[in-house]
Amino acid sequence: MNAWPNDKAAKAIDPVTLEIQWNRLITIMNETDTTLVRTSFSTIVGEGRDFACILVDENGHALSQSTFSSTGFTVMLPRAVRGILEQIPKETLRDGDILLTNDPWLGAGHLPDVIVVKPVFREDTIVAFIATAAHVADIGGRIGYFESRDIFEEGLQIPPCKLVEGGRLNDVVMSIIDRNVRVPDQVIGDLHAIIAAENVGAKRLLEFMDDYNLSTLRDLASEIHSRSEAAMRAAIRAMPDGEWSSSVTTDGYVKPVTIAARVKIDGDSILLDFTGTSPETYEGAINCTLNATLGDCLTALHSTFAPTIPNNEGLFRPVEVIAPEGCILNCRRGVPVRGRSVTSVHSHEAIYAVMAALAPERAQAGSGTFWGIMVNGRDQDGRWVNASLLPNGGKGALHNKDGLATVAFPTNHTITSTEIFENRVPVRMAAKELITDSGGAGRYRGGMGQKLTLISQSDSELSITIRPNNVRFAAPGLLGGHDGPLGHWTLNGAEIEGNHRLLDIKHGDELTCYLPGGGGFYPPEARDRAAVKRDLEEGRISAEAAVRVYKYEH
Amino acid sequence: MSDIRHFDVGVDIGGTFTDFVIRNRSSGALRLHKALTTPDDPSRSVIEGVRHLLGEENIVGANINVVVHGTTLITNALIERRGATTALITTEGHRDVLEIGTELRYDSYDLGMDKPDPLVPRPLRFGVRERLDHQGNVLTTLDEGDLSRISAELQEANVASVAVCYLHSFRNNVHEQRTREIIESNLPHVSVSLSSDVAPEIREYQRASTTVANAYVKPLSGRYLKRLEEALQSLGYASELFLMLSSGGISRAEVAAQYPIQLLESGPAGGVLFASFLGKLTNREELVSFDMGGTTAKMAFVAAGTPMLARSFEVARVSRFRLGSGLPVQIPVIEMIEIGAGGGSIAHKDSLGLLKVGPRSAGASPGPASYGFGGEEPTVTDANVVLGYLAPRSFLGGEMRLDVEAARRAIERGIAEPLQMDTISAARGIFDVVNENMVSATKVHMAEKARDPRRASLVAFGGAGPVHAHAIANALDMREVICPLRAGVASALGFLTAPIAFDFARSMTSSFSDLDTDELNTVFSEMENRGATLLSDAGIAPSDVRHERSADMHYIGQGHDVEVPLPSGDFTPENLSDVAERFHASYAKLYGQAHPNVAIEFVTCRVTSSGPDSDLRLPELEAGQKQPSSEALLGTRQVYFAPDGFVDTRIVNRYALRTGNVLVGPAVVEERESTVVIPPSMAGHVDAFGNLVLTRKVDGGPT
Repeated sequence: MNAWPNDKAAKAIDPVTLEIQWNRLITIMNETDTTLVRTSFSTIVGEGRDFACILVDENGHALSQSTFSSTGFTVMLPRAVRGILEQIPKETLRDGDILLTNDPWLGAGHLPDVIVVKPVFREDTIVAFIATAAHVADIGGRIGYFESRDIFEEGLQIPPCKLVEGGRLNDVVMSIIDRNVRVPDQVIGDLHAIIAAENVGAKRLLEFMDDYNLSTLRDLASEIHSRSEAAMRAAIRAMPDGEWSSSVTTDGYVKPVTIAARVKIDGDSILLDFTGTSPETYEGAINCTLNATLGDCLTALHSTFAPTIPNNEGLFRPVEVIAPEGCILNCRRGVPVRGRSVTSVHSHEAIYAVMAALAPERAQAGSGTFWGIMVNGRDQDGRWVNASLLPNGGKGALHNKDGLATVAFPTNHTITSTEIFENRVPVRMAAKELITDSGGAGRYRGGMGQKLTLISQSDSELSITIRPNNVRFAAPGLLGGHDGPLGHWTLNGAEIEGNHRLLDIKHGDELTCYLPGGGGFYPPEARDRAAVKRDLEEGRISAEAAVRVYKYEH
Repeated sequence: MSDIRHFDVGVDIGGTFTDFVIRNRSSGALRLHKALTTPDDPSRSVIEGVRHLLGEENIVGANINVVVHGTTLITNALIERRGATTALITTEGHRDVLEIGTELRYDSYDLGMDKPDPLVPRPLRFGVRERLDHQGNVLTTLDEGDLSRISAELQEANVASVAVCYLHSFRNNVHEQRTREIIESNLPHVSVSLSSDVAPEIREYQRASTTVANAYVKPLSGRYLKRLEEALQSLGYASELFLMLSSGGISRAEVAAQYPIQLLESGPAGGVLFASFLGKLTNREELVSFDMGGTTAKMAFVAAGTPMLARSFEVARVSRFRLGSGLPVQIPVIEMIEIGAGGGSIAHKDSLGLLKVGPRSAGASPGPASYGFGGEEPTVTDANVVLGYLAPRSFLGGEMRLDVEAARRAIERGIAEPLQMDTISAARGIFDVVNENMVSATKVHMAEKARDPRRASLVAFGGAGPVHAHAIANALDMREVICPLRAGVASALGFLTAPIAFDFARSMTSSFSDLDTDELNTVFSEMENRGATLLSDAGIAPSDVRHERSADMHYIGQGHDVEVPLPSGDFTPENLSDVAERFHASYAKLYGQAHPNVAIEFVTCRVTSSGPDSDLRLPELEAGQKQPSSEALLGTRQVYFAPDGFVDTRIVNRYALRTGNVLVGPAVVEERESTVVIPPSMAGHVDAFGNLVLTRKVDGGPT
């Protein structure tokens, strides 16, 4: 299942036909994506876009994805398909089956991310799979990102199973989910939306194959994969051969976590070796399954070497990743993983630190990254209500431009509208604005972070789960650029010690999160004076920072 | 007075040309005119053109009933950032709403992705102490002292226009109204746009973006409209100027000057209206309007003579045509998809060795290689020349010669050699790829609307539309292609088909079971009264006024709405179940399955108030034989059609065709501004209005 077919056996496709057909595969996934967004029930899918839709070939390798798919998922999903098929062999599937799992090791690294896979049949043969990963609104277990001590505290575990069998919904699986989650309407609603969206995708794929009279996608897959691989290899080959090491230290939970990376470039292939990285831990749900690790570090390589090529797994054939089992980037079964992205979103920083030294134009300074904020409470009728926010810090600077303010990186998702949020839960967003001096100083400045102030309006107690980032260790600057500042957070004006917490807040309690900006690029003394002046006028930097950090003279 | 005002004029200002149509209301006769746009002051070309038409008709300005005008001025001002110095006033703590935006990256892999700069720089964004809750109740009263201080800063910064957007103001506009009073009394020369007025819909970023865009173009468009109206009056025109809106309705200049953001895309909207009008005239139930020009192609779906409306739009994209890279505006707009595919679109080999077409365009300068203006990169037009679709000699009525050799060289160098193909295959590849870009976008669009392209007719216009239409229709298995006569001024003609209409929206988010029918009735009747007043001001008799209601709703938890048509009359707790039924039915139609057990949330009320439809008629063409007259045949040339290759093809003069003429493919029909290509698999016949209708031979069409 995991093996790549022999490209040489495939029939070559001319560049016109390939362009047309490849575009159609992307179009089909965009349509699947649109259907899901429009019919989803939770803020996290419908508003936050924390999901991905992807087309996988008959061997389980990614071919195309929807344009706005959340990037990490697009790496994890095809691997999940292959993992599921090891347990439910392809030969046992029939038309109308849809598979489900939320296994973090097979799938997307934590239990709220459900993987739903639909085999697409053409004349009794599977020609492809449509796969979706989506973060559902709740999966049971304890409320809170980090406090669980093992996977069993984190909620319902669904091993690979048939969610739909021969077109019939599996009522047992559905009712188990229904009983185990706090907001079943949203979770079951989203599962229905995913099924509907995948059915649309499958229908469109078959129409496409009819249009071009294709009985399989093998030749097309082979062309897409081999051309993407060749482009990736050409980009790697342009780099000097050698071996470099770097490491970043990140917040972790009880203890900080160090990510050590060795990057080896050998001709047209690249090796990432995370040996030396901190071990897995039972003190906090910050462990990454190998899939979760690959999600963020392969995406970083794609952006570095082949940003204009639509994502597919051929791009990653020149890449080898080593993460020793038992380290925090390849944790073993049983450890808690719920808040894994607090670790995984930093893996690219170690890679880009190496890239900056080799080819500055292929690197980006560290980003403020997203914080997770989930509000759980009860409405007047005692029913659970919840809403989530995924606000972002600033993006890191590049060798030739400032980082963007408040934009998702390395993940990709949208922020829930304040007005929608306030309609969903009894919380007032008193402030959501940029923070002066939050971008790491540099010739090119890191993107600005933001301040969010939430005030409870609820008569009953609300549980707010916060998953902050960069509150102990800053987003790194590059080549003389300063690190971003640290993030921090306060409750009723008092700084909160420690970095992750589940808070119960009462009416009128005021919680403020200060999301940090990104790191800078090159030393701030080299910043264009007009740019410093503009930053000063626009309140992006303070007068004090202009003088002290940028050496600006009025 | 009215008996002497028997002419209507439609004027469409495009980037290169300004198009005019004048219509004699009594005889129905149409006269067309085209003039170069005068970009320094577009009103000049309008006045010169109108004067020209008055001369041709031998009438004076006082004989004109209405002038309906559409313009790209607003779109261009936003793209080129030529608007006024604008400030934004928000709820305290939310002044960066424009810059924070959606936080989504529209390109997941490009580290250097740019976002559009907000139209208001940070020093001109102000927060004011005030707060409403999500139901519109006042939590913190407006701090008028804050506003006095801000007024002083606005004056200091020479601000010409102010946008106000407070959280939840669409539920209660009291603070925004008061803010306007204060600013206007402190700064009488500053124009103020309120979000509760411009786009009273939930989602603060999109609402603020719309309000700011409106404020940004308001002084500029106000000046322009005033100048134009005065100039028309100087010609003796006694009525008001009317403006084409993006929604497909027309509005008085005075109202348009308050909401200039609604003038976006008015030209393309006119094209779709013309296609809709043709559909109604010739009894086509469903059609796709297909307008392909030099830079972009625009497709729009039309059912029962009515285009579909979208409730939001994105303008001034920084990464061309990429969704998410522009400024969102929440205005009613004829739903169109726009693709970077036009005659000037440049073909190239990408880093994977694939043939790509667009979105980069050679535009008018340097233009396609075949224009001979120095363009060296191969374009779609060049491919069309090499394939024989466009005639080297008779392009633009013979005013412009196309250089076949230059086209061939450009394709050879740019595509054939790098991709190791022969020149003809490369040209054919360009043709196929650009068509597929349009086909796949149309497919998605139709699927989103749960519509089947096979039931629809394709109405093709724009310079390149009728060249590519047959291939698009075949790929989508569509019924037929309609190539209208006068396609060169389709938008201006479309303006004359539009009713005077106003769109209103007001969000009142509430769970359906808690819906307050009194509030609902009040909201709808307020909007309808406003519509009736505006229409009455425009001289529409009350008996001719129509109101159409709809509401956006979703299942609780969902973020995306379904717009549901609603009946007129009062809502009562008893008849609300009918509203719920309508929602379930609309949802099921779109997404296959309703969820009758899930609670519904009510989001936004909408009303369109409109006057009577226009009584435009198209003159009928003289009848002829089945066989076109001999003067219609201009000769033959070699034209490429897959899979046959080059075949001997008849070249036909469009202006010599008569009703009833049948042309069996292959044939190429040439007219001044466009060329209709009929492949061997199709035949065309000329209908009563001179439209050339192409159908597949096997479909029982004429042979």
